[in-house]
Amino acid sequence: MSKQFERVQAGEKAFDWLLLLFSIGVLIEAFRIDGEIRLNSAGSFPVGLALVMLASSVAILFSHRRKRRDPRIRSARHEAEVFLHEHFQPHIVIFSVVAVLYLAAIVWASFYVSTFVFLAALFIYFRQGKFISSLIITSAAIAVIYGLFTMVFRVYLP
Amino acid sequence: MSDTFSFLLMAWLDPGLLSLTALGVLAGIYIGAIPGLSVTMAVSILISFTFSWDINNALALMVGIYVGGVYGGSRTAILLNIPGAPSAVVTAFDGYPLAQRGEAGRAIGLSTVMSVIGGFIGVAVLAGTAPYLSDLALQFAPRDYFLIAIMGLLLVSTLSGKSLARGIFSVALGSTIGLVGMDMVTAQPRLTMGSMELLGGIHYVVVMIGLFGVAEAFYQLHNMAKVPVKQNVDKIIPPLNMVLKFLPLSIRTSIIGVVVGALPGTGGDIASLFAYDHAKRTVKNPSSPFGEGAYEGLVAPETANNAAVGGAYVPMLTLGMPGDAVTAVIIGALVIHGLNPGPMLMIETPHIFWFTVGNLALANIFLLIFGMTGIKVFSKVVEIPKAILIPLILVLCVVGTYSINSNMMEVYWMLGFGILGYWLKVYGFQMGPIILGVILGPLLDETYRQAMSSVGDSSSDFLLALVANPLSLALTTVITLVLLGNTPLKGWIMARFARN
Repeated sequence: MSKQFERVQAGEKAFDWLLLLFSIGVLIEAFRIDGEIRLNSAGSFPVGLALVMLASSVAILFSHRRKRRDPRIRSARHEAEVFLHEHFQPHIVIFSVVAVLYLAAIVWASFYVSTFVFLAALFIYFRQGKFISSLIITSAAIAVIYGLFTMVFRVYLP
Repeated sequence: MSDTFSFLLMAWLDPGLLSLTALGVLAGIYIGAIPGLSVTMAVSILISFTFSWDINNALALMVGIYVGGVYGGSRTAILLNIPGAPSAVVTAFDGYPLAQRGEAGRAIGLSTVMSVIGGFIGVAVLAGTAPYLSDLALQFAPRDYFLIAIMGLLLVSTLSGKSLARGIFSVALGSTIGLVGMDMVTAQPRLTMGSMELLGGIHYVVVMIGLFGVAEAFYQLHNMAKVPVKQNVDKIIPPLNMVLKFLPLSIRTSIIGVVVGALPGTGGDIASLFAYDHAKRTVKNPSSPFGEGAYEGLVAPETANNAAVGGAYVPMLTLGMPGDAVTAVIIGALVIHGLNPGPMLMIETPHIFWFTVGNLALANIFLLIFGMTGIKVFSKVVEIPKAILIPLILVLCVVGTYSINSNMMEVYWMLGFGILGYWLKVYGFQMGPIILGVILGPLLDETYRQAMSSVGDSSSDFLLALVANPLSLALTTVITLVLLGNTPLKGWIMARFARN
């Protein structure tokens, strides 16, 4: 672990608060299994784990007191801007959207067709328009996937 | 005695068995290395078309795949920071930093030699001490298994960087994910949020592919322009003095591996974890700091997880209890072939035991041959531009996830875990503790409830049992020491000793 975690990153506190809320949610869900606290039941261990998550997420939030704020961040608004700049760059957003569309398309467009379109689209975008070579690489990748998974390993594909 | 030797050398002298073992090792290396394909899955698929084969042929192929697969998982852990198998999770801690320094060839070469050393020590222990170790394991009560699982999770928490709180949160999160689904005892839905689709639980491979494959792909998007580190794979064979330097450590961690592997329900993943922790605590001057490319951090898990293969066979062949998931599947194969794994196997069909011992040794020879070759081709993977690699990783993750249960919902879950893993990674959480939590969570829950039932659900009797039984007391003491060793109390005690 490098020193980068000694400073609070943009959005880190908000994320750690979300973990605390998530832990509370898990605790409520775990408590609902039995509806009461028991030492030996289906719900006892999940309740214990949720309490551990709750305690450790509180400890994580407390640990921020020993950390320094990122010097680039001067206000809450500026923190939001840094956060968006770091994690929502155009190529990350495009990859995420295309990945979701790909998973949605597999069911109705078949695995091979959707995989071909997914790979070709991203190769062309990431490689900045090298159209022909991207299509060749995509075709080769599809051929390898077919040979390896359908012919050799015989796994079921979507 | 002559019969024993003939059974021991059967796989070495029969061309058919020799070929099947070699094929199994080669296939296992690549199956173990491809994210999403697991040795357990490959062996499960093998059962379906080897049940009509001769038992020796089927076992030879399975043994080869098992040995090759345990090793193969480390290759992608070193080259891509994506462990091909749970037993290679710890290998990535130091293996990947070594690859980032351009020393992937040396790291893979050393891990191959150490895997073979570990494998041979595992086989020797299997052959020499199987009856004694199985007797010891037979005496374990559920509370002991519970304590062992606690110890494993506690160790992984301490390994997850500087923040113990983040490590414990990760372990608890993973264990919680592992408990989602229908309770196996009462059939009550647990943590399903009313969803029918979650009643069957979340397969750990789905979580593993999501956290290691998809999260890594998203994380790598930040460094698209970064030129891949040119891997030095010319120096694959490690120099003899390097091997000799790490030999004492490899022998110690092999013994840890074989003992942990022999504990039913555990396997290479926990063995490698224990070995890594042992190396971290005992090696005073590592080649680099642990977690930043220490060769010691590579040697320890690699010897232990291959030694655990021999260990895992001990309870399987002598007690009929699987040492890990793969041996659980192999038990199924033995039953299909009309054999009776357990104490009677050693009496009725001792040739199966000695054949397996000889076959495991042979598989390790092939591991050395195949492990030292083909690395140049393999290492080219990291030189593929990220523009090509990242979309391909996602496709491999989709194929790997779908092939588990042919369920698209699991593919969507995999993507969800990938996004969660990305944010966790960004904010300093490690993926390894989460995965080990997913694997050990159900075991922990089961053994805790068995232990509580055995004392009539009395918490005071449960606590008393932890200190009244010598084995439980020893495990409780170790857990307490590990826990205290990671608190400020350790520094305070050390300072007091230093002053005195």
